[in-house]
Amino acid sequence: MASFVGAFAASHGPLLIREWEAVPPGEKSRLKNAFEELGRRLKSAKPDVLIVVSPDHWSNFFLDNYPAVCLGVGAANEGPPEPWMKGFAHREIAGHPGFALHIAGEAMRAGFEPSVSHRLKLDHGACIPLWRMGLETLPKIVPMLLNSIEPPMPSLRRCFDWGRLLASAIQTYKENIRVAVLGTGGLSHSIGEPTMGAIYEDFDHETIRLFSSSEDSLISYLEDELPRRGNGSEEVRNWLVAHGAAGGRGFELVDYLPVPTVIVGCGFASWRAS
Amino acid sequence: MRDYWLSKLFYDLQSPAAAAEYRAERDKVLDRYRIEAPVRRALAENDVPFLAQRTNAYLLRYYFFATGMKDDEFMRRLRHG
Repeated sequence: MASFVGAFAASHGPLLIREWEAVPPGEKSRLKNAFEELGRRLKSAKPDVLIVVSPDHWSNFFLDNYPAVCLGVGAANEGPPEPWMKGFAHREIAGHPGFALHIAGEAMRAGFEPSVSHRLKLDHGACIPLWRMGLETLPKIVPMLLNSIEPPMPSLRRCFDWGRLLASAIQTYKENIRVAVLGTGGLSHSIGEPTMGAIYEDFDHETIRLFSSSEDSLISYLEDELPRRGNGSEEVRNWLVAHGAAGGRGFELVDYLPVPTVIVGCGFASWRAS
Repeated sequence: MRDYWLSKLFYDLQSPAAAAEYRAERDKVLDRYRIEAPVRRALAENDVPFLAQRTNAYLLRYYFFATGMKDDEFMRRLRHG
């Protein structure tokens, strides 16, 4: 039987790559340490499969059809299409069709209705954390692309419930594999709107605090605050999936720092497998 | 509100080859999309607030990144036109 071995979360702002050299040394050092600490924790969990929860930044989907959730069920997915991500070594990333299709089947049975794709492009949202965590070899990646880019988006409660569903699907998978979850993006940032560049530190700190409280308090706070905290902050949905997968407990902040150079309140966290 | 064809242009210009063609022969590329005259004028004038009302914020940023506008200038135009 499969086992859940931990959940993780990390920011993925593009300027972490494109403007890396411009990041002040003190912040650069903390960012590097935080990514590497997450990498150490992930490696020590020894996952065979990593479910990576990320938005699709218009790499696969367009207005013709933008799914709320798409699971990557193929044997392989493509590396990031962005030219500035060419330094990421993995151009073809192995998936785990058996487990991914099991999740999709369990989801349908539970009243969730994801779309599926047999070949996705995994853009910077998925790949910046994988890159910066310094993983020499990648576990098999099951992508879960969750819309936090184009309204309407899945409800925050639904995202948490998706995490619970992942946990249940892990428990019911027959093969003896170790599975971890990585939620990417956040915390606060604002992209392509008049508040672009804003980082809402008070929102970030309260969100982080509430990850150690009840999920009702966390979700209620986010429902109230997200509409005025920058469109990029919507990516906290991916953290909610990780939180749900961990049963809503065991949250540990690795680091948080607002980084104006990359215009993101950068957050890094893990959840213990209980 | 979403202007489908404007958004499609921005989406397509994520390809470096398409962006290079757009920078070299903008009118030729625009002729392939059903973009209305006021929108086409806004593209010519880099009228960021006008375009922002008609597309996704991430696509808007990609477009101006692809056409070479620095983030500082993009943010200034977002706020002040």
